[in-house]
Amino acid sequence: MVFDFFRGGGDTQLEKIEAQISQMLIDDRHTFDAAINSLLGGTDPSLVGKDIKKTDRGVNKTERAVRRELVVHVSVRGTAADIPLVLASMSVVKDAERIGDFSKNIWDIANSGIDLSNAEDIKTLTTYRDHISKMIAETARVFRERDVATAHEMLKEGDALQDEYDEHIDAQLHTDQPAREAVPRALLYRYFKRITAHLMNILTSLVMPIDRLDYYDEDKADRA
Amino acid sequence: METGATSRAGRQMPTAVRLGLVLFLLYLFLVGVKALETGIKSFGADFTHTLFEGVANPLAGLFVGILATVLVQSSSVTTSTIVGLVGSGSLAIPLAVPMVMGANIGTTVTNTLASLGYLRRSQEFRKAFAGATMHDFFNVLAVAVLLPLELLTHFLSRSAEALATLVDREAGAGVSTIDSPIKIAVKAPITLFENLLEGTGSTVLGILLLVLGLALVFVALAFITHHMKLVMAGQIEASMNSLLSKGAGVTAMMIGLLMTVAVQSSSITTSVLVPMIAAGVLTLRNAYPVTLGANVGTTVTALLASMATGRAGLVIALTHTLFNISGILVFYPISALRKLPLTLAEKLAAVAERRKSIVIAYVAGGFVVLPILGILLLQ
Repeated sequence: MVFDFFRGGGDTQLEKIEAQISQMLIDDRHTFDAAINSLLGGTDPSLVGKDIKKTDRGVNKTERAVRRELVVHVSVRGTAADIPLVLASMSVVKDAERIGDFSKNIWDIANSGIDLSNAEDIKTLTTYRDHISKMIAETARVFRERDVATAHEMLKEGDALQDEYDEHIDAQLHTDQPAREAVPRALLYRYFKRITAHLMNILTSLVMPIDRLDYYDEDKADRA
Repeated sequence: METGATSRAGRQMPTAVRLGLVLFLLYLFLVGVKALETGIKSFGADFTHTLFEGVANPLAGLFVGILATVLVQSSSVTTSTIVGLVGSGSLAIPLAVPMVMGANIGTTVTNTLASLGYLRRSQEFRKAFAGATMHDFFNVLAVAVLLPLELLTHFLSRSAEALATLVDREAGAGVSTIDSPIKIAVKAPITLFENLLEGTGSTVLGILLLVLGLALVFVALAFITHHMKLVMAGQIEASMNSLLSKGAGVTAMMIGLLMTVAVQSSSITTSVLVPMIAAGVLTLRNAYPVTLGANVGTTVTALLASMATGRAGLVIALTHTLFNISGILVFYPISALRKLPLTLAEKLAAVAERRKSIVIAYVAGGFVVLPILGILLLQ
């Protein structure tokens, strides 16, 4: 223990926190994949429910651990603490936790008896599913590796997707289809939009100053 | 170039350079202790006898220790100065023991002051103030039990004497008359200083050496703490995080000890705990053993200072260590006694939350007014 203590420090604790956030995203992808496949892939929701809830509890636990570790960082470092990074991490960890929650919401739709695996628009839905799943994994990588160039590209892509989700939601609001068809789709597109927005929030932490975190979509100048 | 919120600030100084600087500062610290010792010797035996006659009463000595530490905001400076004085033969060990105990109490004011930052947020203040004052109560209770025992039996100073003899024996028989390389290196600049000011008279030389010694001890310790905190911050964070996940006990005590040895300041260790307690991420019970470890860890500074002095300096430094270990042995193993400082701190914090004037009365009264009155009345 004594030797461990004096072995040297550096910024390893903040790096550990970043790794924890990245792992949260990997767990989020697992939850998302399991949840969306119970709605679109024909998987029995009852078979994956336990796993989804367990993974989400783990994500929530990590969120609390990260917050504690950030308090420790500020307490120990005082004025030398990396305050922008601490504030950004506090915000980003919440985004990572919310992705897990929205994935759980998708599972809730499936668990209520809705199955879209044979729906007419399944191809469109699975395209979005694959895109979001890939985007979660890519966000984890980009965040871990601080890949600013890819973050910019992904933000542009995410911005376009947000507009598409809005169009789908709007279509469901004005459809003549019965509620059993429209409501799950409206909710699903809404959850897609929220998950994408939270991923974009995480990406903004790499490319934008702290005061403009989460506000990428409100200023068109940012899209340039 | 990273432009985002998560971009990193660069480290200004390589760790190896910083550690080299710390070693140099440690050398300056020892030179400071030696300057103090030499300076006080220059005044002659009569002067020092008169100077310390006023603290012949152990309680007066205790109050001197408290007040001196509150004024310099560092028990390490106080105890190192005491080691220098004892090493010079100016201050007898029995008079120095209560002063060292007083330094232990005085040092607790720093984290209490840190807790005042939460005054406007009642819930957080209550936790922060309790977290800070548990250290005060533990140290006051330890003195209340161990000072009378020491005065009656001299068990601490006698044990320290025995340990010092053991250290001498381990160092090798017959070498006690030969100065160690450290002592020779530390003495060299003092001799140079004395030669430069030859003919100025022993009193002037003594005053200059005292001022130089105090300044070196104070500044060197402050910079050692600053640089070591930067070097060790990562490890301290890791240790604190492991403390949050694994809980209290001997491990927490070891963390407090190692942290304090690393940064050479118990105030840093205990003050770091305050925001974590206030934020609710660290419980009072988990923080408590860390402060006890810090009590032991801070005695390393006096032990380092004794490297620049004679055997008596080592004895008082070891007395300081044994006092803090004894405090833990008296209060920690028995559950009811262990909880006592925590209970007292929680009760005081509950009162302080309702009546903020109590806080001012406690800090100013307990750490400034009472010691001054004590010194004036008991000298």
